[in-house]
Amino acid sequence: MSNAPAAYRKTAGFPFAYLDEYAKKEIRRKLLKALAVPGYQVPYASREMPMGRGFGTGGVQITLSIIAPDDILKVIDQGSDESVNACNLRQFILKTCPGVKPTTRPEEATIVQTRHRIPELPLRKGQILVFQVPYPCPLMYVESSESKRKQMHSEQDYARLLVKLYEDLVHFKEITISSRYPTRIHGVYVMDPSPIPRWDVPKLHQSQAIHLFGAGREKKLYAVPPYTDAVPLAFDDVPFRVEDFTDGGGARRTCVRCGSDDTFLDEFFDNDGRRVYQCSDSDFCNRRAAAKTRNRKEDLCEQRARE
Amino acid sequence: MNSAHENDRLLACRGLTRWHGSGCPACLEETGPERNTNVCPRCGTVVALAQASLDLRRGEVVGIIGESGSGKSTLVKMLYFDEEPSAGKAIFHGPEGVCELFELNAAQARKLRNRYLGIVYQNPHLGLNYRHSAGGNIAERLLLAGVSHYAEIRERARVLLRRTEVPEDRMDELPGRFSIGMQQRVQIAKALAPGPPLLLLDEVTTGLDVSVQARILDLILELQHELNIAMLVVTHDLGVVRLLAGRTLVLRLGRIVEAGLTDQILEDPQHPYTQQLISSAL
Repeated sequence: MSNAPAAYRKTAGFPFAYLDEYAKKEIRRKLLKALAVPGYQVPYASREMPMGRGFGTGGVQITLSIIAPDDILKVIDQGSDESVNACNLRQFILKTCPGVKPTTRPEEATIVQTRHRIPELPLRKGQILVFQVPYPCPLMYVESSESKRKQMHSEQDYARLLVKLYEDLVHFKEITISSRYPTRIHGVYVMDPSPIPRWDVPKLHQSQAIHLFGAGREKKLYAVPPYTDAVPLAFDDVPFRVEDFTDGGGARRTCVRCGSDDTFLDEFFDNDGRRVYQCSDSDFCNRRAAAKTRNRKEDLCEQRARE
Repeated sequence: MNSAHENDRLLACRGLTRWHGSGCPACLEETGPERNTNVCPRCGTVVALAQASLDLRRGEVVGIIGESGSGKSTLVKMLYFDEEPSAGKAIFHGPEGVCELFELNAAQARKLRNRYLGIVYQNPHLGLNYRHSAGGNIAERLLLAGVSHYAEIRERARVLLRRTEVPEDRMDELPGRFSIGMQQRVQIAKALAPGPPLLLLDEVTTGLDVSVQARILDLILELQHELNIAMLVVTHDLGVVRLLAGRTLVLRLGRIVEAGLTDQILEDPQHPYTQQLISSAL
């Protein structure tokens, strides 16, 4: 191991996975701490990356610190494998990590780096999900001073987060937090699950996979270990609920491409100005759509055979 | 002391002292009413409050009067954990047992403050969050005290606002839209939300016009009778202590110069400073 990076460094001009070994070691050590204290924000020395802070540098640094040449990587941005942020970060990681193979299938990946979504397919034991986090602290809304926020975390003083929920219920009859829903991890710290939609929050609960969160600009790391409780904050008599995609008539909206009625949908307008819905997880949608055409073809073949 | 008296105890402060500065052994001797200063001539330390001791029983109202800079607010702020004392202790006989306030760790102090203490500041801006509705402000206090049932919070907030004469249909409005008198009543409702055995009132009527003052004082008196809450009333208005307080302490330059029944102090003041204070007011 010790000679390989040095040799690589000589030929490529930079070490395997871009960061030097000391930086990676520091981040890995901080990740261990984050896993040992679930939901706790561990400060770390966020390195300069060849991309702007706020473009996913926290997630990239985590991925680069834990990646090995035999890893298989999936990178998504808002559920899509093809959007700009995902493509750029994937290219950068593949370029600096020779040997690593890209994939779009979450079940094949050993590491999934994500911005703002968790794949629809459940992750399994041994997989690592790396989140790019813009704001790591859920208390940011209610307390502007970081030292006071630290104290609030240490005393588990989270009542003021519920005032926001109260005001939402009063004014809108429901909780309007669409993403970054404050979630209590292992019954102790409340963390910001990065801007994933409410839809994805229950997936953190007792998940088999490891969830690592990196905020590069804010220089914080945190984690949800496998088989850990992740409970969204709520009132006793007003339970947490995920987005509901029912239309005015009470029917569940479906994906315009694959017809799914059990996924998180993005809303947009098609060329004719009509409101349409489509799965936000592009890989999941592609495969369902492909399966649908395959079924249709098979049906067609069967029909012809019968005729 | 007999045992009934013993059970009646709520708060006992002993030798509460607060100075701003390095402090030296001579600080306490070189300052005070006799020296006519609260700045130590040797080290320049400002002695805001020195050797203040007082007892408070359940449901009792004690007034604290004195000119500005006499240490009234310092005393209240320390009891609400807004400021740390330099010396002294305060024994609180709370519903969960007896404790020394300044030996609690931060989390314990916060819990005690959230559940068993209420404070009403002179300026409602200090006590209210203007980005939350009036109901939200009360909800905050209830949430801090551990109530996590939405319907219960709504109901309790409604009852509190009704009791403090804030129209119920304005419960979900921002307090910034209320008159100052009404904001002050919301602040009182917020302070009362967890049902604390001790309420600290820091110049609650100062700056209000006379008719509003009268209504706020009426309200406080009514609540005190109804809920039997002990109160520490800090004011420089002798009328307020006459109306509310059974006993009164007179502070001057950080020292308690006189303490006793309010009537006695107002009608027959013993200390020259109290005499001066009362003759100048009447």
